[in-house]
Formats: sequence, structure tokens, C-alpha cells
Amino acid sequence: MTTTLSPATSAGTTRGPSRYRHVQQGVRERLAPYGYVAPFFVLFLIFGLFPLLFTFYVALFDWDLIGERHFVGLDNFSELVHDPRFWGALRNTFSIWVLSTVPQLLIALGLAHVLNHVRLRAATLFRMSVLVPYVTSVAATTIVFAQLFDRDYGMLNWFLELLGFPHVDFTASVWGSHVMIALMIAWRWTGYNTLLYLASLQTVSRDLFEAAAMDGANSWQQFRHITIPSLRPIIVFTVVTSTIFGLQTFTEPLLVNPVGGLTCGAARQCQTLTLFLYEQAFGRFHFGYGAAVAVALFVMVVIVAAINYLLVTRIRSERP
Amino acid sequence: MKRVNTIAVFAAAVLLASGCSEGSGDDDGSGFEFWSFTGINQKIDVDAYTKAHPDAKIKLTEVGSTTETAQALTAALAGGKVPDLVLIQGDDLPKFMQAPENFVDLTTLGADKIKGDYLDWVMSQSTTGDKIVGIPTDVGGMAIAYRTDLFKAAGLPTDREQVSKLWPTWDAFTEVGKQYVQATGKPFLDNTPTSIFYQAVNQGTERYYDADHKLSYDKNPQVKAAFDLTLKVFASGISAKQGSFSTGWTAGMSKGDFAVVSAPAWMLNAIRTNAPGTTGKWDIATIPGGSGNWGGSYLAIPKRAKNPKAAWKYIAEMQSPAGQLANFLAKGNLPTTPSVYTDPQLVGREEPFFSNAPIGKIYTQSVVNVKPFYIGPDDATVGSELLNTLTSVEQGKVDPANAWDTALTNVKNALRG
Repeated sequence: MTTTLSPATSAGTTRGPSRYRHVQQGVRERLAPYGYVAPFFVLFLIFGLFPLLFTFYVALFDWDLIGERHFVGLDNFSELVHDPRFWGALRNTFSIWVLSTVPQLLIALGLAHVLNHVRLRAATLFRMSVLVPYVTSVAATTIVFAQLFDRDYGMLNWFLELLGFPHVDFTASVWGSHVMIALMIAWRWTGYNTLLYLASLQTVSRDLFEAAAMDGANSWQQFRHITIPSLRPIIVFTVVTSTIFGLQTFTEPLLVNPVGGLTCGAARQCQTLTLFLYEQAFGRFHFGYGAAVAVALFVMVVIVAAINYLLVTRIRSERP
Repeated sequence: MKRVNTIAVFAAAVLLASGCSEGSGDDDGSGFEFWSFTGINQKIDVDAYTKAHPDAKIKLTEVGSTTETAQALTAALAGGKVPDLVLIQGDDLPKFMQAPENFVDLTTLGADKIKGDYLDWVMSQSTTGDKIVGIPTDVGGMAIAYRTDLFKAAGLPTDREQVSKLWPTWDAFTEVGKQYVQATGKPFLDNTPTSIFYQAVNQGTERYYDADHKLSYDKNPQVKAAFDLTLKVFASGISAKQGSFSTGWTAGMSKGDFAVVSAPAWMLNAIRTNAPGTTGKWDIATIPGGSGNWGGSYLAIPKRAKNPKAAWKYIAEMQSPAGQLANFLAKGNLPTTPSVYTDPQLVGREEPFFSNAPIGKIYTQSVVNVKPFYIGPDDATVGSELLNTLTSVEQGKVDPANAWDTALTNVKNALRG
């Protein structure tokens, strides 16, 4: 910048004011970007960072919103460690997360590969239709799935009966309810991830695929040696985001089994950590305890995201 | 240009940051804000009141479910804009009774003069010391709703007097259920946790707290008896194992896959809306044991209300014995004022959906003999954990032999934190 401007100043006659104007403009130009990003950071400070820090503070109290509050130090956390409901919720969260994320990302990869194929007819239609589940309301999805999986009147059990099997009470069992919720999540997010992969794939030169095809590589070999390596950055992104979202699964377990209130079933068989948090803070008004669950969840998300990051960057650095 | 932009962006940010300042209230003497929950149709009352008092401006907000309304109220009491009048469901009330300083003591507005109009055991739940926090709007008397067509097919009597005589006790009720199952091969009752336990445990003289307001759910023989009764009814094989309000429950009710539902007064509306096609096929008999209550709501005025006088005027008029009678005739909510229980209009009210059953007569009989017991802040937690354990038994996840111990462990865990 300055080098291109310097000839002009040396050549010009109005030396003083021009230099002053340039300095002023320079300061302004340096400050301007901060001004542009300020709205986000100001809002983040108010609605993101402050609640986050305040949650840590609340976690140190026995905090009933309208009654009394007492400072209890780390008591909430020691309670939490001994609370079987917390460990149950932790187990449910991870189980649902693994059951939903792994198949979801694998299917999305495969779908993206297929949708990227040159000879696919009505490509836009197919590409867009994978996004339909994503734009459907979570509540509607959950209610429909819950009806499909119903013990006595669900379509799935109707098929089981046709095939001569006894009815399965999906919502009542641990595995049944986890599979059911994982399916809802996968159904919703697979299309979204497919589009991310597809967008990234389309930046890969077609020459690569054509050259590979000329050399006799079949579709699987192309997938293995071109698609996956070129998608690595976006795979890292989707793994990290779906981990963060997966650990915060809330709406599905809240609505799938409304009979048990906020517990996702009589035995808390599919209550996730966020739902447990919600039950404690907003169902029972134990804000301190709820905040402690939130802090535990936060720590867990950070740890898992870090592990994810390390694993995936290692994969990325190992060139085939 | 650039500078203007920068400044504008900063200004916008500052505006946003300071946007959470106090809003200005409009206090014009007769207007007030009223928070209610959905499904109880307070609009009818508000419309009736504004018709009689055209100058009264009432802003009615249906916040959400009973729980959501209590949550919103909690948040508002903790530091937000409070309504002038709020409807609190009976199960949520004990939490608010823990901090009565958040509400206007209604005796200062004249509640001590009218408190004698209401059932004393209902009034006792919203009274602490000499302070009155809420005025009861309705009670949830108990009865049994049954399908006359299915009873007929099973060779059972269908007349409500005769059916009521079939089950003076829960044991007799179970025997009738067994007969029904034998005759039809279909389950008799929707489920045992809600239809047996929540009814039976509400029929005692004490529930989860003792007379000294101490938790006693694990020692009270009445709680254990209700729990054991539920297990016994379940073991008799008459339950359809459909959790109340689940999708299967709704479907089963429409299809006639069970013939009997325990029906606190407010349940009638749930049956009506969930199985509209079964109109005229239901009737109502008295509950085994004769009396009991589950549910009911209260009107309260938050301390920081802008217009407590107008809110109180509304309470005093709409919740007077005459007001509650009019309310019953309009929407079927059971009055809390025993003076109208013999009113010919109440006794004569018939419900076409339930084979013209005189619901006023049946339900008021179940609440006049209710014995008052203390309901404490942890009642909802204890109740739902016991219920959940019994649901797990129905789902085959907990062995009935260990159910009581499991239930006590679950309650203990739930009471921590």
C-alpha cells in the first residue's frame, strides 16, 4: 500500500495536508474492521461469554431461583459424581452420539460420492432432496418416529407381527430407545453432511476421476483414493461439529417419550445430559445443580473435541 | 462514508447492549395482566368479567403447559416483569409456598373474610401461617370413566349406579377387571401407575409428608399400601400397560382396547379431546373408596404486581361461590365452594359425552370427605419417581419383588442435588 502511494506524494505539490489525510485514513482503515466485527463480539459477550462464565459461578451455589441461595463451593460437583442419574445420562448421551454420528457420516460420504457422479440424471433434484429432512421441524420428526415405533399401534411392530415376531417396546428399553433417537438424528443430519461433502467434492478436478477411470480404477477405488483424501478438511469439520451437536442432543429425547416428563422414560433410559440439566434447572428449579451438570458437559465437549481434533489431524497428516 | 459506517455499527452495538433496560408500565387503574396455562380456557371467565365491567382491560396470556407457566413465573419472580394475576396448578404450588414473600398476602386485600367459602383442606394448601397466597379455582375430584358398550359386551352391568356398587373397594375393582378380561380377552384398565397408584395414594390421610411437614414417604404405611395395591392389580393381568397421555394410550382409547380409565375431573376433557369418536359410549361411576382429589389450581398475585387491587377485584368476583358455579356450568371445572354443591343447577348438569352422567353430583361427592394432608415442595418429585418405578414394572424392566426398594432408591437419588 504505502509503496504504491509514495511516488504520488513525492510528485504532488500539496504535501502537508495530503500526508495528514493519509495518516488519518490509515488509522481509520485499521480500526474499521474492528467496528465491523464488533456487533458479533458485543452480542457474543452478552449472550455467549457472560452466561458461560455465570454458569460456572452459579454451579458453586445451592441456587433456588426464587428462594434462598447458599454458597456451597464444590458440593454440587461431589454430589454429581455420586449421582447415578448423571452417569446414566452420560452413558445415554455417548451411546446415542456414537449410534447416530458414525453411520450418519459414513452414509453421507457414500451419498456424496454417488451424487457427484457425472452421469447422474436430475442431479440437482437428488442433491436438493437429501436436504428435506433437515428443513423438517425436529418436533414433527420426533412425533412421527415415536408413532412409527409405538409398541401396540406402530407401523414397525405391525411389520414385525406380519413376519411372525412378537412386538418390541422400543421406547421402554435402553437399546430400543437409543437406536430410535439415533435414527431420528441420522435421518435429519445425513443430508446436511452430504451436501457439505458434495460441495467440497465439486472443487476436486474431474480430471482426477477421469484419469483414474482411464487407468481402470473402479468406483470403490476412486472413492477410497480420490474422494476421501480430498475431503479430509471437511471431514474434520463435520466430525467436530456433529460431536458437539451430538453431545447436546435434547429435543428428540424430550419429545419421544413425553409420558415420563423430563426423564425420557420411566427408567431414564434415554435421558441425555442436556435433558438431565434441563430437568434439574427448569423442572426442579435446582439451578446450582443444573449449572454443575452444564459445566461437566462443557468440560466433556472440550475434551472430546480435542481428542477428535488430534485424531483427525493425525489422519490428515498421514498421506497415503 | 467509512467513518459514518463505523460509528453506526458501534452505535448499533451500544444500543443493543443497553437494550435490556426497564420498560415503562402503563398503569391505568382497572387494567391488569393475567398469566394462565393452556387447556383450562380462562378466556371464558375473562370475557364474562369484561362484559360485566367494560372498563376493565385484562391482558390474558396463556403461557404454555402448567409446568411451563410455573417456570415462566419463577423466572419472572426472580427478576423480570411479573403479571398482576397468575394461575398456578396445585402440583406446582408447594414450590411457591416455600417463598411466600414473592406474593401479595391476600388477607391484606380481604381474603380472610371469604376464606370460609372454600373447602378448608383446599384452602390449607395455599395458606402459610396467617398468610393466604392463593384462592382455589377448582378441585380435581375423582371418579372412574368406563365404556358402557364394552361393559355390555362383557356381560357386566352398564348403569352407573350398579357399576358403582360393583367396586366399593379396589380389590372388588380388580375382581371386576378379571371378569372382564376373562369374558373379552382384552385388557380392562389403561394402566396401573396412573389409574391405580395416583388415585389410591391421594385417598389417604397423609401422603409423602407427615403432620410435622417432614418427608415420610418411606415410612407412611398408606403410601406402601397404595404401591402394593398397584403391584397387585398389575399382577392380576388387567392392565393394557398404556402410559397415560402416550400415543398408544390415545390410540387404545379411540379403538376401545381398554374399557376403564381413572378420571379425576380434569381427565374428562382429555378423554373428550383424545377420543372424540367415542362420544356417548362412556359413563362415570364412583371411585373405589368413595373419595379423593387430584389436581386443582389457585389464583395468586405476585408481590411486584402493578395493579394488585384490580386483580383482587377479579378474584373476589369470579371465584365467589356464584362465580365458581357459573364457571362449572360453562366449562365443567369443579367448584371449591361447598355451598353450591347442592345447587340444583350443579346437581342437574348432565354431560352428553358421558351418557348424560351428572358430573357435578358425582364429583362433588368425592371431594367433601377428603381428609386434608400437607403437600410439600418435594411432593412432585417423590410422586413422579414412585410412578416411574411402577411404570418400569409395567414395562417389564423392574421385578415387582424389588419394586419398592428400587422406588426408594430412585426417590433418594432424585431428592439430592
